[in-house]
Amino acid sequence: MGEVKVGVFLADCGNQLPEILDFKALNDFTKKVSDVVLVDRSNEFWRGEGLQTIMTAVRDGTINRVVVAESLPKLSEVNIVQAVEEAGLNPYLVEVIDLKDHCAWPHRETPKEATEKAKAMLLGAIERAKLLDPIEKLEFPVLKSALVIGGGIAGMQAAVDLADLGFEVHLVEKEPFLGGLAARASRFFPTDDCATCIQSPASDVKTITHTSRKCVYRSGFSEIPNLSILANSKIVSLEGVPGNYKVTIEKKPRYVDEQKCVACDLCTTVCPIEVPDEYNAKLNSRKAIYMNVPNLHPPVYVIDESVCKFHDCAKCVEVCPTNAIDLDQKSERITLNVGSIIVATGFQEFDSSIIKEYHYDDYPDVITNLELARMIDGFGPTDGMIIRPSTRKPAKKIVFIQCVGSRDRRYNPYCSSICCMISLKHATLIKSAYPDTDITICYIDIRTTGREHEDYYEKAREMGIKFVKGRPTEISRDSETGRLIVDVEDALLRRFLELDADLVVLAPAMVPSEGTKELAQIVRSLSRFEAFLDEDGFLKEYNAKLRPTETKLRGIYICGGATFPKDAPTTSLHAHSAALKAAKFMTTGKIVKDQRTAVVNEEYCGDCVFCPVTCPYGAISLVPTTEEHFVAQVSDLMCEGCGICVGTCPLNAIELRHSRPTQMLAQMKALTSVNGTSKPLVLAICCSECGGTVVDSSGMAMMRYPANVRIMKVPCTGILQVHQFLEAFEVGAQGVMVVGCKSDGCHYEVGSQKAEKKVELARTLLKEYGIAPERLEMLNMVFIEGNKFAEAAQTMTERLEKLGPLQLTEVS
Amino acid sequence: MNYGSEEKLASTFAEELRQRMLGETITLCYQCGTCASSCPVAKITPSFNPREVIKLLLLGEKDEVISGEAIWLCCSCYNCDERCPQKVAIPLAMFALRNIAFKEGYIPDIYSEFASAIYDNGRIVTISKFVEKKRPTLGLPPLQPTGVDAIRKILSATEFDKLQLKKEETS
Repeated sequence: MGEVKVGVFLADCGNQLPEILDFKALNDFTKKVSDVVLVDRSNEFWRGEGLQTIMTAVRDGTINRVVVAESLPKLSEVNIVQAVEEAGLNPYLVEVIDLKDHCAWPHRETPKEATEKAKAMLLGAIERAKLLDPIEKLEFPVLKSALVIGGGIAGMQAAVDLADLGFEVHLVEKEPFLGGLAARASRFFPTDDCATCIQSPASDVKTITHTSRKCVYRSGFSEIPNLSILANSKIVSLEGVPGNYKVTIEKKPRYVDEQKCVACDLCTTVCPIEVPDEYNAKLNSRKAIYMNVPNLHPPVYVIDESVCKFHDCAKCVEVCPTNAIDLDQKSERITLNVGSIIVATGFQEFDSSIIKEYHYDDYPDVITNLELARMIDGFGPTDGMIIRPSTRKPAKKIVFIQCVGSRDRRYNPYCSSICCMISLKHATLIKSAYPDTDITICYIDIRTTGREHEDYYEKAREMGIKFVKGRPTEISRDSETGRLIVDVEDALLRRFLELDADLVVLAPAMVPSEGTKELAQIVRSLSRFEAFLDEDGFLKEYNAKLRPTETKLRGIYICGGATFPKDAPTTSLHAHSAALKAAKFMTTGKIVKDQRTAVVNEEYCGDCVFCPVTCPYGAISLVPTTEEHFVAQVSDLMCEGCGICVGTCPLNAIELRHSRPTQMLAQMKALTSVNGTSKPLVLAICCSECGGTVVDSSGMAMMRYPANVRIMKVPCTGILQVHQFLEAFEVGAQGVMVVGCKSDGCHYEVGSQKAEKKVELARTLLKEYGIAPERLEMLNMVFIEGNKFAEAAQTMTERLEKLGPLQLTEVS
Repeated sequence: MNYGSEEKLASTFAEELRQRMLGETITLCYQCGTCASSCPVAKITPSFNPREVIKLLLLGEKDEVISGEAIWLCCSCYNCDERCPQKVAIPLAMFALRNIAFKEGYIPDIYSEFASAIYDNGRIVTISKFVEKKRPTLGLPPLQPTGVDAIRKILSATEFDKLQLKKEETS
């Protein structure tokens, strides 16, 4: 790199800052610092003429390190960095500090002290800038193809979106037919229309009329260009990296050729084998060759291999007019390379038989909402009749029980959020069709929070559906009549009821589907992420507020009921969001990322597993060097540059390219080299996320704290090592504040927790050395707590004044 | 009316109870009534409804609860404990409440009579002459004297005797 030539640019913010800071003194001070070749002052340097000045100095080679004191650090940094790059210098040789919010504003009542602090800040930035290394930009390829796992409402919508946008899409469904749980729901709220409607693809010329929706069987779904549907298939394994995942899929035999079958139904007519139909809650039977209901997709029969007699019977083969049946079909393995993956594996009903007192397993007339939905469905097993399964006679007295296994700390503590609406939908549909049905809903709280949802509750009361606030303790059965008795307290009237019923409908919790659980295991094997699932077993989003359909792994997206129980409208939204995120990720065909990542010094690294285990992004792997030894290797693609590995390494064998220990030490020394106040120096080491912004915000809001408090930013407090706290005292700090995100809100997941532990350890050590442990403290704050930071800085200063000066020499 | 009084905020009492209940908390209760419909006592007397007891506690009505008879009527069958979806340890809460009530001098007569009997004789049931005569005819050995002194030592170590005395003075 040759000779270091630093240019320092002091912005006075439209002459505001000189009212507090002595700019002449700053100018004189800076000029004397070694390697500084240029000091300039202007109103602002992040745009306009000021920025041109920097660019000219860079272009003509006057300077090769840029230090700018600006007042809008983040915004200005982006502009300055871009400009410097344009002018031909590596953009990471720039250091921007904030003399306004970190110095002038909070210390405006003590201008002299503020000026001295500004000197220290400038020196810190210059010393750090001198040690900066150029950092390269990297590019990683991204395939423009996607895998969508799960063919329910979420998966189908996401797949259509991506296919319409021109990406190659593979939709995998483990069942023989698409539709998922949604297709069995019969009707949806709040529209009361059929469950098999999904959005029409834009590429279907016949539906270009922009109608609101279409049944899946006439939507042209299978004819969408770029979309291949793999029903009856499941994911076996997943490998690879973001942008290029390798997926192995097992396609189970259907025994019917999708290209030849004309869905004529002759095969089912001759098939001699009848089994209870699981799809329809076993309320009817189906043949060994079957299609659940006529309007499913693909419109091709499938043979249930667990019951078919194959060549011992083969009646269907004989009768098939198109020779579509192939009893010798074998399962096949398909390998795909895709750029991104959308997981839409859905939810399922909680197994109500676990709650013994409701006798779901023993009493045939105790059913679940999904089973009731099959009765309501005109294609269902009862042609739309609501019956008592035990007698197959119409059910005239129905009791619904809400929250079966949800809001229940023994099983699922959360509210499944859609079951109140499902029961209200069913109750009102039944009451409309059969007005003489007596319906009671036993509830804990009725939750109807969506648009038009309260209307269902209102309509239900208007129709005479009865509501009992109380969760039944048990269901019993009259041994003579076989009628059911629901034992419940009407808590509002303090009255004990024994409700007589011929049908009891349970509203079970919605829990992660088996497919969701399996997929989570497969994805976890790929990423080593412990936290891919939430504590209830649903897939966990990266950030609930801003990244609801993204995961920590680039290129892997989640949507629909696999993330939490959802109604159809929310599932649609979620699916579109996931598709958009996947499209955004794939659209340029590459990931551009700079090398602000961790780098391993192989000479020191030796055989421990701390960093790969600690890395929240699964970016570090161990590779063998010799037969017995391993060395850590960082993936620049996966590394997010937080430095938590650095803070964890016991051998100092790993460091961040943009925040090396030498750079940190130089800055620390500089910040404490000038005091200029009568107060003890405090070093506040902040992370660049919440911890840094809280310091910014206290300045922006003009909160006051004393000028002896010096600010130093690091990427994440997780990067800090115990010895660095001790170093801070050694170079002259009398107190150290570590400011990070909230323990459970670290932007890098675990950084602030790690820092808390290290601060705790360092405090124990300080005590051993005879130094008051209160000299070191950890603060966990967020942006809006600027006042708390200012208070803490004041309190620390007062505390140190009471403790008196730190005498390190006495310690040894 | 307002519920509770300011110095006896609901949360404060819930916390006191939590400590006595080994960390179990009643604040989980959302009044679903599973306990009440499981309760054999509630079904035969309007004087006891576990859901109502918890509701009053959550509103800070400590005095009403510990001075009333409801808490003494729980028969500890644990049906509610078994079925409560929020895992509220209701029988444990009843025991804790009885302890608090006893400490504060709210003791139903029947319980203080038992207590006196134990303190005086070391037995809950006083042995009548009839019983003493009857035993040999049934082939039972005569009753041995109880270790009243030892029992009194225990009762005094737990300060039970003082509470009991207080109760006797007031009544």
